[in-house]
Amino acid sequence: MTVRQWISDDTKETWIYGILGFLLFLMVWQMACVFTDFGTIFPSPGVSIRTFFMAFIEPIGRYTLLGHISISLKRVLIGYGLSSVAGIIIGLLMGYSKMAHAIIYPIFCIVRPIPGIAWIPLAILWIGIGESTIYFIIFMGGFSQMVMNTMDGAQHISPELVGVAKVLGAKENQIFRKIVLPSSVPYIFTGLQTSLSTSWMAVLAAEMITAREGAGWLILSGMQTGRIENNVIGMISIGAVGLLLAALLRETERRLCIWTVRSR
Amino acid sequence: MDSTKPLEHDDTIIKLEHISKTFIVEDGEARVIEQIDLEIRENEFLVIFGAGQCGKTTLLKILSGLESLTEGKVYIDGKAKSRFDPRVGMVYQTTALFPWLTVMGNVEFGPKTRGMGKRERQKKAQYYIDLVGLTGYERHFPSMLSGGMCQRVGIARAYCNDPEIILMDEPFGHLDAQTRYMMEEEVEKIWDREKRTVVFVTNNIEEALYLADRIIILTECPSTVLKEYQIDFPRPRSLVSPEFLALREEISALVELREGVVV
Repeated sequence: MTVRQWISDDTKETWIYGILGFLLFLMVWQMACVFTDFGTIFPSPGVSIRTFFMAFIEPIGRYTLLGHISISLKRVLIGYGLSSVAGIIIGLLMGYSKMAHAIIYPIFCIVRPIPGIAWIPLAILWIGIGESTIYFIIFMGGFSQMVMNTMDGAQHISPELVGVAKVLGAKENQIFRKIVLPSSVPYIFTGLQTSLSTSWMAVLAAEMITAREGAGWLILSGMQTGRIENNVIGMISIGAVGLLLAALLRETERRLCIWTVRSR
Repeated sequence: MDSTKPLEHDDTIIKLEHISKTFIVEDGEARVIEQIDLEIRENEFLVIFGAGQCGKTTLLKILSGLESLTEGKVYIDGKAKSRFDPRVGMVYQTTALFPWLTVMGNVEFGPKTRGMGKRERQKKAQYYIDLVGLTGYERHFPSMLSGGMCQRVGIARAYCNDPEIILMDEPFGHLDAQTRYMMEEEVEKIWDREKRTVVFVTNNIEEALYLADRIIILTECPSTVLKEYQIDFPRPRSLVSPEFLALREEISALVELREGVVV
């Protein structure tokens, strides 16, 4: 029996190995700081952890760490929320109506490959520096993925099930709500998932350029003020929050889509 | 044309008059149904039997409204049939359940679409869920059920919509032999209790003889009526009685002779 089989059999073993790996990582980091020049350009694990906990009490810039994170989160939730709603509506429209598809899709195809952060200069020019600019950049970051996934779902409805519904008496105007919408739900969740991670990336980029607070500002200010430990804790928080958001969304999907084989 | 008009029966519920269907395919046209005249009687269990892929399913799809007609007319209760007629229900080859709805959600779909109140339609759905033996599975999703159970849901869903005519398109073709026998008995039992007209398509001669009041044998492409058998064996039928086996031989020989296909 190979080691890989052995650990995959038991989740407890996987946890132990995960923690071991993490400790090993901290050890290598610590040794690099003690025995090489790495320590001069990077804080040691001890300093980082201390700064991390201190940051909850002592403000960096205008807010504590928690404050910065909640500001970034609020921005993401607004921008991401708006882009999801708009993306779902336009995606459903393009997926369901051939007419809407013919009109919107060509324009959309040009806009789609442009990453959200490419909109930063235009957004600043149009809206100026402020919250709305950040919302706009986040909006553009997740929007096209939302549209693409939703459209995919609305286009892949089973014609057989539409037939079944019609034989059972569903009228043309009931097909959308009773068939198209529910069949698109798993695709919409895929869109929500990918769009969430790009939104989280977009907020950081936007904050680095246009904000005076938030997790993105925090990592940039760490560089500007020469306090690399602020940069490190900013990055750790970003990773943790991103992980948490994705897990939260997965759990929501698992509860809402118990019928898909995938989430069982 | 009127000279070929079949004799009218008083209890005729569906009448097919000179039905033909041509599909447009890549290299021209494909005729799948050629001039079928047929009368289906109220409360009868009619089996449409034929080897191969041609015609049978298309005929059912025409009756259900899923396919249009190329030529001919369909009458229900003497009146021309509308495209999706509420008097017609259907059970499908594949289970064709709505995967996002529970067993209850699937069975109540028809009445709900027609605007029946929640209490009334759920009571009704419960009756049919009980009838097909799925009591206790109301809140299960189709992905949690076996093929045979899904087909039971499909049957309950069709009955719950109160159609006068239920079309069944090789509903047990995908099931294993054991489940299939069980489902055939079940369908017969339900038909006996609910007394609706059933039009059942199959390519299994044993299934046809077990279930049918009358068997219509269709030819291969384009399909037309080859022969008709009235089956008067008492129910429930024995699959091994001499009369049953003799008739089975006869029909097999007939189809084999004509198509060169072993049934």
